Amino acid sequence: MSEERETRLFMISPRSMLTPDQLVRMVHSFGDKALVKETCYGCLVEAPRSEILQILAKVREKYPNEVFSKIRAYRCSDPRRCRAQHGTRPGYAQLEEEWALLAKIQYGLEKVEAGAKYDPKPEKKRLDVNTFKKICEVQ
Amino acid sequence: MKIFIDPPNSLVLFDLVERFGHEPLSTMAAIQERVDNLEVDMPPMNVTLDDVVKGLKYAGIEVPSGVRGRLALWGPLIEEADAAIIMDDCPYSFGCVGCERSNLMIKYLIHRRGIPALHVKYPETDEDAVNFVAQAKEWMEGLK
Repeated sequence: MSEERETRLFMISPRSMLTPDQLVRMVHSFGDKALVKETCYGCLVEAPRSEILQILAKVREKYPNEVFSKIRAYRCSDPRRCRAQHGTRPGYAQLEEEWALLAKIQYGLEKVEAGAKYDPKPEKKRLDVNTFKKICEVQ
Repeated sequence: MKIFIDPPNSLVLFDLVERFGHEPLSTMAAIQERVDNLEVDMPPMNVTLDDVVKGLKYAGIEVPSGVRGRLALWGPLIEEADAAIIMDDCPYSFGCVGCERSNLMIKYLIHRRGIPALHVKYPETDEDAVNFVAQAKEWMEGLK
């Protein structure tokens, strides 16, 4: 992973009351020299990796279960991707699908934080012959 | 630990792996390397000759070029990984020859390496999501 430049995508869960504008203002208020771009789902932040990790930690501290992030291969406003520069934006369909999933993940994180444990569903067993016969027999 | 995520560009898995203290290995990092260091027009749509040769290590010459191109990105990541987390039945992870065969090849390569791999189901409801997050958390904490 490159240390010089990292572009991060911050996406707000649809269950959250936070808006992209509030998130961008908050990231700006950290006072770092990062490039921040507001988007419809949250924001893009570009800076050296060490700075990005600090910003991520601060965002997680403030909104632990509402803001999700991943790195982005292309720079902010890259003409090959940016819609404002007539880019193609491939891959956005998946982001949209995952955006809908984030509401459930936020709920899951909150419950796990409150102490929920993994509860595996019982495996379906094969029906034994006698039970099957009973089901089939006409009463 | 370095954990390979499947689907390799999943936001949810990337975030959870990082949140629970591990390093996610994703497509984005591999593409970023090509965006920053190589003069390729539009990775991953365009590849270099080296990528094609790398892809041949994981898939034969007779398989569609799309599979080889994808495996040129993902194959080295799987080799680098210490563990893998796989989300099954993602509604956006489907396709015909290129996409679906690549997805199957990823699972095959992970299991062939014998690294710890967790299969999780795509959560359809809130209750599924609680189970999914709890399972992923417990598994990742156990890896340390």
